[in-house]
Amino acid sequence: MHSAVRGDQPAAPGPGALETLLDRVSRGDQQAFETVYSAVAGPVLGLVRRLLRDPAQSEEVAQEVLIEVWRCAARFDPDRGSAMAWIMTMAHRRAVDRVRSAQASSDREQRAAAQDHTPAFDEVSEQVERRLEREQVRRCLDSLTELQRESVMLAYYRGCTYQETADLLGTALGTIKTRLRDGLIRLRDCLAVTS
Amino acid sequence: MTRADVHTFTGVYALHALSDREAEEFERHKAACACCTQEVRELQETTARLALATSETPSAEFRTRVMAALPQIRQLAPLVPEGRRFFGLRPLRWRLLQRRMPQLVVAVCLVIALVTGGFAIDEQRQEQRQRHATEQAQAEAAALNALLAAPDATFRSTAVQGGGSGTVVNSQALQRTAFVYQGLTELSADKVYELWYSRGGQYVPAGLLPVGAVDGTTVLTGTPRGAAGVGLTVEPAGGSARPTTTPVVLVGLPTT
Repeated sequence: MHSAVRGDQPAAPGPGALETLLDRVSRGDQQAFETVYSAVAGPVLGLVRRLLRDPAQSEEVAQEVLIEVWRCAARFDPDRGSAMAWIMTMAHRRAVDRVRSAQASSDREQRAAAQDHTPAFDEVSEQVERRLEREQVRRCLDSLTELQRESVMLAYYRGCTYQETADLLGTALGTIKTRLRDGLIRLRDCLAVTS
Repeated sequence: MTRADVHTFTGVYALHALSDREAEEFERHKAACACCTQEVRELQETTARLALATSETPSAEFRTRVMAALPQIRQLAPLVPEGRRFFGLRPLRWRLLQRRMPQLVVAVCLVIALVTGGFAIDEQRQEQRQRHATEQAQAEAAALNALLAAPDATFRSTAVQGGGSGTVVNSQALQRTAFVYQGLTELSADKVYELWYSRGGQYVPAGLLPVGAVDGTTVLTGTPRGAAGVGLTVEPAGGSARPTTTPVVLVGLPTT
């Protein structure tokens, strides 16, 4: 348990294992936490980095998320979803909050610079596509309509609000809202997600 | 966020793509909406898969920093279940329902999903008609939501003769009854399942199941006032004024 997780192969404990481990973590079991760390640190860091880009800031936020898992393990409720979803939702939330607060301050200070800081959509899309490590996710993303895929990518991997997504794609707000939902539902079915 | 479209905010909510104010508004709705809770949960499981696809290898130093921080962190105690702190009956009942009868929740949510799902197929041309159908389905779903969350709601499950199972959900307070069914035997095109209230020894028609439906939820027409039970029979297409066959379901209603 002392080796870093390989990026392309996160350690995958069996079904329910992560949930059991979190229960032990909630009672201060550091060894259990090390196993949880092995399973989730790679995707937590990867996701945060995808959203924030800056390596130092990403490590800082990823560290906060992992410590949050340790701190709040007792609040995890298996009736409300899997441990992996709980942790990744937390990681996404934190990274998105950071993206938005950074945007807000740079908007105030320097609108032009903020514009610069935000990569053009095509570039992001290409990077995201190139860096997707899991074939299944790629395949399922490919099965979406173009608008569904673009909006899911912007919202999830770049932390855009649906208002921003609608602006970037030049599409009506209501349409983006339904496309995001339709896209996720299609992904859910394609990935055979159960809950 | 209007009443009719609030259900469709599950996606943007799961993606954290709402403003804080909108997210709070949706959370208030979600607390009393089992369908939304279920869908958000599924969509969050889905986005977790998108996260897994981004995995990177953290450095050894990163790991050391995380582990070194733990001893200084005070861990939270488990939350006291909400029901013991509040009289938030509706949300609590929803949660209990979801735990006890996940298939029931799924069945109810199908009512929304079937129609709003169809919304995407040809939005431009059929927008008007679809919106009407969506609103209708959502109104029906809202009625079911209210029924399932009613403090006096009772649930009577039974096997259906000939195949499948059903649950009669009834609220005397709301004067409403619904039939939730799963795995019914498919009928030939000239037959239909018909629901009945049994009142004073007579069967009173209470609506037809949608033609061809084998899983779903149907709210009975009329009220359960004075009814001793609910029945289901197989009738000729279009339904009958009196049952022409022996009921495949007969469930008693609580008398009050």
